[in-house]
Amino acid sequence: MPVLKADNVAAVLRKGASARLADPLPARFAVGQTVHALNINPPTHTRIPRYVRGRRGVVHSDHGVFTFADAHARGETVPERLYSVRFSSEELWGPQGSPGGSVYVDLFESYLASAT
Amino acid sequence: MNELPMSHHKHNDPLPETVLRVKALESLLVEKGLVDPAALDALIDTYETKVGPRNGARVVARAWADPAYRERLLSDASAAIAELGFSGRQGEDMVVLENTPQVHNMVVCTLCSCYPWPVLGLPPVWYKSAPYRARAVAEPRAVLEEFGCSLPEDVEVRVWDSTAEVRYLVLPMRPRGTDALNQAQLAELVTRDSMIGTALPRSP
Repeated sequence: MPVLKADNVAAVLRKGASARLADPLPARFAVGQTVHALNINPPTHTRIPRYVRGRRGVVHSDHGVFTFADAHARGETVPERLYSVRFSSEELWGPQGSPGGSVYVDLFESYLASAT
Repeated sequence: MNELPMSHHKHNDPLPETVLRVKALESLLVEKGLVDPAALDALIDTYETKVGPRNGARVVARAWADPAYRERLLSDASAAIAELGFSGRQGEDMVVLENTPQVHNMVVCTLCSCYPWPVLGLPPVWYKSAPYRARAVAEPRAVLEEFGCSLPEDVEVRVWDSTAEVRYLVLPMRPRGTDALNQAQLAELVTRDSMIGTALPRSP
């Protein structure tokens, strides 16, 4: 990897490095669909927080296709669809959850299964 | 005996070991030619003096003043923010969350410290702290109260955990009594924390 020089800092920061990919992958889940976050515990890097594993949520939006972070940490570029999934506070925290509150979590497709 | 006064050992100070490790790593990387110290200075200067929450405040003020811009901001945030010249690293894929009288949005990254750099600069220490990251998703109202942000009971609190590639910016509600203000004056009311969702904007 080339060394970043002072002269290039502004251009590199301005350009950014989006993880979005153009791969036209079909969407396995639709907005509004009820899904389960899988109870998975990979020994390597992952972006599924523990507090949603095994919990039921609803697909709020489809962000499109991005580099799958877990694979990227291994140096691989694997396209995968990314969703915003809404979990009710009570689903996550039980009686200590706040009624009506919710947490929206960005989750890759392979973290999810259909709950219906 | 330790001669330093106790006040030098505040609980929030970074561990001396961490500071030493960073210094050691930096000098090693520079020595090996992997890091250009001038580039490091340019990076620090960028986020100390050029890029910060005043950028986001301009975005919010424009959205308050210009309904067509607000529409664009809510439908394609990255493009609308780029219209004002703000784009790039850690702001490539933006989503703007609009607060309403019924809904209050609040952003966290429970896994690390993901944050929209082009509009907010680098994250404050508390945003990266374990207590904020753990509590924001579990008891957001208690956290908001500690920030001095008291919301009516019937307001729905939505917490957004930026666990992946999308970065979030909260569009706070325009304060009352601001009809006569121009965009520059409106931007003065927009605080960093109001764009994270842990506070409300200032009143005029």
